[in-house]
Amino acid sequence: MSRPSARALFVWTIVWFNLVFLALPTVVVIIASFTAGNIVAFPPDGLSLRWYASLFETDSYTDAFLRSLYVAVICTVISLPVGTLAAIAMARYRLRLAGPIQVYLLLPFTIPLIVSGLGMMLVFGEIRILGQLWPVGFAACAINLPFMIWAVAASVNNLDTDLENAAANCGAPPLVTFVTVTLPAVMPGVITGGLLMFILAFNEFIVSLMLVDARIVTLPVLVYNSIRSVITPDLAAIAVVYIVVALVTIWVLDRLVGLEVFLKSK
Amino acid sequence: MVRLDGVTKRFGTVTAAEDVSFALHQGEFLTILGPSGSGKTTVLRMIAGFMQPTAGTILLGGRPVSELPPHRRSIGMVFQRLALFPHMTAAGNIAYPLKMRGFPRAEIPKRVERFLALVQLHGLGDRRINELSGGQQQRVAIARALSFEPDLLLLDEPLASLDRKLREDMQLEFRRIQQELGVATINVTHDQREALVMSDRVIVMDGGRVQQAAAPQDAYRQPANRFVAGFIGVTNFLACTVLEAHDGEAEVEIGDHRCAGRSAAGGEAVGRTADAALRAEQVLIGEAGQAIAHADMLVPATVTEVIFEGDRVVYAVDAPTLGGASLRIFDHDPLHHKTRRIGETVTIGWKRRDLMVFPRDA
Ligand SMILES: Nc1ncnc2c1ncn2[C@@H]1O[C@H](COP(=O)(O)OP(=O)(O)O)[C@@H](O)[C@H]1O
Ligand SMILES: [Mg+2]
Repeated sequence: MSRPSARALFVWTIVWFNLVFLALPTVVVIIASFTAGNIVAFPPDGLSLRWYASLFETDSYTDAFLRSLYVAVICTVISLPVGTLAAIAMARYRLRLAGPIQVYLLLPFTIPLIVSGLGMMLVFGEIRILGQLWPVGFAACAINLPFMIWAVAASVNNLDTDLENAAANCGAPPLVTFVTVTLPAVMPGVITGGLLMFILAFNEFIVSLMLVDARIVTLPVLVYNSIRSVITPDLAAIAVVYIVVALVTIWVLDRLVGLEVFLKSK
Repeated sequence: MVRLDGVTKRFGTVTAAEDVSFALHQGEFLTILGPSGSGKTTVLRMIAGFMQPTAGTILLGGRPVSELPPHRRSIGMVFQRLALFPHMTAAGNIAYPLKMRGFPRAEIPKRVERFLALVQLHGLGDRRINELSGGQQQRVAIARALSFEPDLLLLDEPLASLDRKLREDMQLEFRRIQQELGVATINVTHDQREALVMSDRVIVMDGGRVQQAAAPQDAYRQPANRFVAGFIGVTNFLACTVLEAHDGEAEVEIGDHRCAGRSAAGGEAVGRTADAALRAEQVLIGEAGQAIAHADMLVPATVTEVIFEGDRVVYAVDAPTLGGASLRIFDHDPLHHKTRRIGETVTIGWKRRDLMVFPRDA
């Protein structure tokens, strides 16, 4: 009888450990953002929405937020077709480049972002596109694309290999088969991957830092610059904005794909 | 309707199908029966057009089809793992071939309803595939393959994954639908019972080659060779030597006994070793030292195993004078026959025409 309870104790210890160390800081930040005082403090010094108001009134914040959004959209728009086609091609056909592609898929786990960022900075400087915003989105796509490919490949590998044969058997020519059967059947993976790319690009810091200048800072870079001077409660409010964006993404994922599908496919 | 002429398929050094020839007529139900790896799926896929034969020709409706891609062939197929479209409803799956084959828009919903009813899925058209049970998914796959009324229906072991009760129901269901629509059908299975139950004709395959093409009763009564005799039904094989062979009869020596049996072999087989085949249900059991009614051959034996299965009793017996052979025997009338005990000495016997002799290759 003591065995199950010992195990329960172990499991619950881990659960609480996670809750405390992952969720607690988040909760603290959320509460702190509602402070009425002039410094970040916990517990907050009175309650107000003044720091949120200041966020919306400060052009540098709204501009940076919109720039981050733009970067994230560029990254997602590029990675959707590229990542989807790459994943389907890899899973369905024998490619001559299979070896190099597999190495590429492992890069994000092995190469520090600072290295990729440096490389991008040199290349973009060379072709004179540094100082514009869209290359930041492109860079985020190039660096994070493997995650998109993983997500779609997981979906493709779950498909019956006879699915396309079945479509042909039903009278669908190859291109129609691809559009009406293959693509919709891997849609859960495409949506998952697309949202992942969006959130990764929206949050991207190091590569942004190396590719932007003072005129086009993105939100993470702006936050970083602010931290180096005075830590004011509007930073806590920005943190809450990030939390909200993450929650919205998860909500969209749940609506479109269903979270169980997502958690199981990984 | 469909004809295969000397169709061969090689994958590198593996020959999956070799010199396969057969024809299928309008409305006929043909089953390709063979163990796993015997080339059944390969034959089906070549007919569907997913792969090209290495040699030989396939004709559909009298025309060679090597140039015809799969989506231009009027063939419905039920796949082994069904391959239903996961992002569509049951009705969507059934409507898909209708849309692809240009049926008038107005006619499609009516047709989908008709085929949902045909496979007894009324009212379930709006369900997504993963909301249906295994048997229901099976039915959707059948309806999808049939909704556009193809000239030919191909079934690649679609029942193999079902439990026994459901499988037997679905076998009868397939047969009913097939007869109702009169569509020529090729079914593939490794289940000999299914082949015998469902088909007008059976083609037995092994190692990529056709071993026999015959009506189910004939494949059972007159197997063309040792492989077919062993694959259809439970058969005892006894090593023997051929003493005489002519006119469909052979005289052989099994252990200490001389016996006669049926054989297609001629005089060239005399002196060769052969396999004498006896089906488990055709071996009779009687009291030790006594004759058995209707039996031409009598041999002493000892019971080594008794398994009561309700509608039959399965025995294993040792017969020292048959070269020490061990035989399996089915008694299909356990209510009227005495049940033997392990260790009991008995007489076993069989009718002369129930013994089949297959000479081994020299
Ligand atoms: N695409 C393929 N590549 C190589 N060998 C194959 C391929 N498809 C089938 N084979 C081989 O051909 C033989 C027959 O296979 P198959 O037609 O699937 O048999 P069955 O359906 O009777 O089980 C097997 O030995 C199998 O390994
Ligand atoms: Mg097969």
